[in-house]
Amino acid sequence: MDILLILLAYIVYIAFLVRVFIHARIWLTAEEQSVTYRRPLSSINTCGITALDILFFRKLFANDKLLWPGSWFFHLSLFFVLLRHLRFFLQPAPACVAVIQPYGIFAGYTLFIALVLIIAVRLLTWKKRYVSYSNLFILSVLLLLSFSGLLMRNFFRPDLLQAKAFILGILTFRPEAAPSGFLFVFHFLMALLLLPYVPSHIFSAPFVIAEAARREEGIGMMMHEK
Amino acid sequence: MKNKNSFSRGLSRIQLMELDACTQCGECLKFCPVQDVTGNPLISPPEKIRVFREFIRATDGLKARLFGTGEVDRRLLEDFTKAVYECTTCGACGQNCTVGIFTQRLWPMLRAEMVRRGLGPIGIQAEMPGLIDKTGNPYGKPAGERFSPWFPGNVRIAESADIAYYAGCSGSYEAHPMVKGDVLVLDTIGEPFTMLPPEAEVCCGFPLFITGQHDMLEDLIKRLVDAYKARGVKTLICSCPCCVNIMVRDWPIFYGSDLPFKVRHISQVVSEAIQEKRLVLSKGLQEKLIYHDPCYLSRGVGVIEEPRRVLKSIPGVELLEFDRHGVNSRCCGSGGAARKVFHENAIAMGRLTIDEAVAKGADRLVLSCPACYAKVNEAMLGHDKQVRIVDIMELLSDLVERGQS
Repeated sequence: MDILLILLAYIVYIAFLVRVFIHARIWLTAEEQSVTYRRPLSSINTCGITALDILFFRKLFANDKLLWPGSWFFHLSLFFVLLRHLRFFLQPAPACVAVIQPYGIFAGYTLFIALVLIIAVRLLTWKKRYVSYSNLFILSVLLLLSFSGLLMRNFFRPDLLQAKAFILGILTFRPEAAPSGFLFVFHFLMALLLLPYVPSHIFSAPFVIAEAARREEGIGMMMHEK
Repeated sequence: MKNKNSFSRGLSRIQLMELDACTQCGECLKFCPVQDVTGNPLISPPEKIRVFREFIRATDGLKARLFGTGEVDRRLLEDFTKAVYECTTCGACGQNCTVGIFTQRLWPMLRAEMVRRGLGPIGIQAEMPGLIDKTGNPYGKPAGERFSPWFPGNVRIAESADIAYYAGCSGSYEAHPMVKGDVLVLDTIGEPFTMLPPEAEVCCGFPLFITGQHDMLEDLIKRLVDAYKARGVKTLICSCPCCVNIMVRDWPIFYGSDLPFKVRHISQVVSEAIQEKRLVLSKGLQEKLIYHDPCYLSRGVGVIEEPRRVLKSIPGVELLEFDRHGVNSRCCGSGGAARKVFHENAIAMGRLTIDEAVAKGADRLVLSCPACYAKVNEAMLGHDKQVRIVDIMELLSDLVERGQS
């Protein structure tokens, strides 16, 4: 069983890297667009709008006040949860990882609530709503990951030292046994299932958001400044 | 080396990133005019992007690299082609996209890919290159009828001048009151202006660009730019938002360098003339007017304030606004060269514009685009709600006289 989990982890991880490589290659071999009316990113307005869009989902806030809190808290919570999980991947764990542990624990709860809210908004506000089944699948996997994580945190604690040894073993190619217990294996499998479906927008959206801010700020250059 | 069969070959780097950046959140559907009248999510922006990603995966993905490009299901390609051409390319989805995908530019490029594969364009759109080649316009009408039915007999055209007026095909053949109004107002301002002869004033290229048929563009654009250059033109004035859009955004690309003149929308020129008292509003109008922002003028090139300034300068006028106006305006249904192919959609969208104008209590619906003018007038026929439709310069031409300064 442990060997299967470890092999699966390597396969999924390699597939993930290949996917990232293929996307990057497609982007890098494409041509730059020919003409653009856009402000430089260094302009204060463009920079400010880009930051607001990336950090606070400004446009989503403008369009959907119901989805925004779910989406924003989901991303923020996930960020802290992932930071908290760094303690399993780094030996020794840096002091900053130790500092964020309480925030990471809190984020575990907000992550779950945010996911429930997102799914509820997606499914219950049908009118004029595009339901992406792949998106719902990813959200469901995340919900299961989050729920199993909360269960392990509060009720069925795995052996954390063994969990860390297992993860580090995979990273250092010196496999160790996984901690016993269904929940850890389930949580780990859900993470592996999620990896191939990690939406590509997490890599490309920041660039697109920055470009949109430059374009929107530059629209006045077309008919008003020349 | 780029795969010659790749679906990504015609897209720029940022456009490929845009396809990847779509989060499939579906927020854009609230703003899509085609969704307003069809309610079909299969032709929605995120679905088009999802399907096109599948196409790219089929030609550029790992499986394609290891085992060669597989065949993409013909039915899926045809359905996608219909979806991408049913769109009015108004860009409202992109304007409200949570990550800012520039859809007003992306959709035409996806259409171009469908054209390369022999799947697009749809219906009579396919006849446009031939018609333009033969007659100079996408309607296939004789060049001799371009100006003669509407051009005011008392207006003089200079042989050469700093200013030139481009009437455009849709205005010249389908919205006579609009182009007549343009010429009358320009004449009232009093600065000499020139125009190309009807056989030389060919299509600006927009209908070809927007339908993804790019082969003739360079030739058309070079002919037009060189003709204006030969007349010593420094400022090219046009009232058609689609023409203005392609002139500003794409003419420099196809011409190969910056244009030797600047392009201005007529509302900019008129607004300035009123401000500088070169044009005086001698008559008032005790009416409520509602102004519809054309997508390619507002979202496209950012001309939003000038038409309002012009309308507000008319004594007695109360200017109303649509709920969605400015960069967020809702398409009247005639965009994207879809109005003659997906006629019922366009009529339904036009009627939504009429309904809102009536609900707001407007006496007149003011337009500033020949395609909007033609289609919204058509949508009015047989509709239970009625409002008077007028083009902004058509309206103004009856109210102005030459100023002193």
